[in-house]
Amino acid sequence: MVGELLLRPFLRFLSFVVSLREMRWNCLKGYKKYYGQKILWYLITFVIAVVLNFALPRLMPGDPVSAIAGQAASGMTDAQAIKKVYDEYVEKFGVNDPMIVQFGKWAKAAVQGDFGVSFSQYPRTVSDIIASSFGWTLALQLPAIILGWLLGNILGAVAAYMKGVFDKAILPAFLFISNVPAFGMGVILLTVFGIQLGWAPTSGAYGFDLIPNASWTFVKSVIAHYQLPFWSIVLVTIGGQAIGMRSMSIYELNADYVKYSRFLGIKDTKIVGYVFRNAMLPQITGLAMSLGTMMGGALVSEIIFSYPGLGTTMMSAIKGNDYPLLSACTLVITIMVLLANLFVEIIYGIIDPRVKAAQQD
Amino acid sequence: MGKVMLEVNNLKTKYVTRLREDVYAVDGVSLKIEEGKSLGVAGESGCGKSTLALSLMGYYFPPLHYISGDIIVDGRNISGMKPDDVRRNILGTEIAYIPQAAMNALNPTQKIIRFIEDVIHVHDPKMSDKDIYDLAKERFSILGLPAEVLQKHAVELSGGMKQRTVIAISTILSPKVLIADEPSSALDVTSQKMVIKMMRDLMDKGYIKSMIFITHELPLLYNVTDDIMVMYAGQIVEKGSAREMVFDPLNPYTKGLMGSIIVPEEGVRENKLTAIPGTPPNLKHPPKGCRFAPRCKYATPTCSGMEIPNVELPNGREYRCLMSERKIREVYENE
Repeated sequence: MVGELLLRPFLRFLSFVVSLREMRWNCLKGYKKYYGQKILWYLITFVIAVVLNFALPRLMPGDPVSAIAGQAASGMTDAQAIKKVYDEYVEKFGVNDPMIVQFGKWAKAAVQGDFGVSFSQYPRTVSDIIASSFGWTLALQLPAIILGWLLGNILGAVAAYMKGVFDKAILPAFLFISNVPAFGMGVILLTVFGIQLGWAPTSGAYGFDLIPNASWTFVKSVIAHYQLPFWSIVLVTIGGQAIGMRSMSIYELNADYVKYSRFLGIKDTKIVGYVFRNAMLPQITGLAMSLGTMMGGALVSEIIFSYPGLGTTMMSAIKGNDYPLLSACTLVITIMVLLANLFVEIIYGIIDPRVKAAQQD
Repeated sequence: MGKVMLEVNNLKTKYVTRLREDVYAVDGVSLKIEEGKSLGVAGESGCGKSTLALSLMGYYFPPLHYISGDIIVDGRNISGMKPDDVRRNILGTEIAYIPQAAMNALNPTQKIIRFIEDVIHVHDPKMSDKDIYDLAKERFSILGLPAEVLQKHAVELSGGMKQRTVIAISTILSPKVLIADEPSSALDVTSQKMVIKMMRDLMDKGYIKSMIFITHELPLLYNVTDDIMVMYAGQIVEKGSAREMVFDPLNPYTKGLMGSIIVPEEGVRENKLTAIPGTPPNLKHPPKGCRFAPRCKYATPTCSGMEIPNVELPNGREYRCLMSERKIREVYENE
């Protein structure tokens, strides 16, 4: 009996591994065209995004080099010497070359991970700044968006299946909340839970009196600081996902296969599983389509909480006319969104057999 | 006389609409099927055929509601059972169903074999996936379906193939009663033939013990089932052997139904093609007397005034009409 109990999950796992291998084989066979086309389109999008990334900040008004040079040359009186300082900076940042030459240089360096030197945080390199903020953004946004999406889908399915209070009260409440922009939600949470109730710290990623280390105090501080920005993103995400899932689930619950399954005696729990999987498919597409917007909103909520992620870094880059940093930030975000989208599409291709069937025709 | 597989006594069910109105779609239906026999149910659209199919399963969910009557499957009365018990112990094993739109009856994101596993596991949770696969493979090959179908998704199958797969799945547990709701109506003639052959094979090989075949094509039933009954406005208007029903209808509605169908059958083919004028009555407020009276050319004022009795003839044939058998034949002769 005990042996069987232990053996069952193991066998389940084995059959899961086998089915994964089977799946991979299918991917190779049936999905080649599907994924080939997808990846090609993503590459084209990527190139366009890179060009825009480079060009747009440089078209902004203002001359940051003169500002930096001005700082460096403060106190100097000799016009010749000031001119020399200015020229040196111009030389260093390469801003006098034609745009196309700048792009060539920039692209060549970027491939090697070198995005130049930050203007506003000189002499720190852009790669260094990005490296220190990227982790925070990833750790904040990825779990928040995924959790919000999952909770939204579960709420939508429950509202469709159980109706009652879920459908009449909880879902509309989240729908209302989801129409508050991310920064608005940030401000509300900050005021209520951060300032009035004092449950969680209101800014930064960890206590300002701490130095990042592996101590328990530091981890606790990080978790405490994580709460408000995290929930501000999750709460805003739930409603929009839930309403889509609700209508999809209602549609699927009335599908012929549900009726047929019932008449063959299959249990409701199992049927709900069928419905959830089928109703999920458009939701996955929805996730892919709204990822960009979601991330944009989430970046703003970083700024509200002064979270040391890409959003805050970008804000300071904009303020300081820091093209290299701004370009690198937007580039990293673009790559993140594109990768996330591609990942979602790959998953979709695997779980919806119709994609494979359509490609084989 | 064979063992009675399904007996239904005075079954009444209704639909409750969103505006809380009652629609009496099945109104006092009685029938009996013996082992090895098949019964056809014919009638025009909206007469309650499909509702009868759903009602016979004893498992009701909104908008369909049970009112009264008995459904006895192989000696066991299921109409008083709890819905969950019906679902667990009766559906699939005792009574199985083939839906009207088999095109959409299969879950689009599930392999056929996974669905078969789910169906079998409800009734036999211990059966291993390997045994299920072997059983399904054997059954599919006997029924002339390639075994590869098991590893496919519904989208990869053609319409006819889907229909036959659904039939094979519905009967995988060898049910005592199979209720087929227009299993061939949406198919082309070739696929229809294959479906009909499959249904016959199922009966011949004993995978199903009895069958109810619902369709709007009366002549099709002549080739498939032993007996035929004709439904009109939620009631049975005539019941008899397939031959009698097609070549010698007694009830004026059955006669009209035969007259309005194009058939290649000898002896029927010469009939003039005629439509039945008017439309079926609104079942929210069923008329008091004969429900066909407003459309019947032989109707007299009495027809609408009183409840029409069911006439049983010595040879087991039944019909619902105020005219006697002799009168009917006389009237039809003189036309």
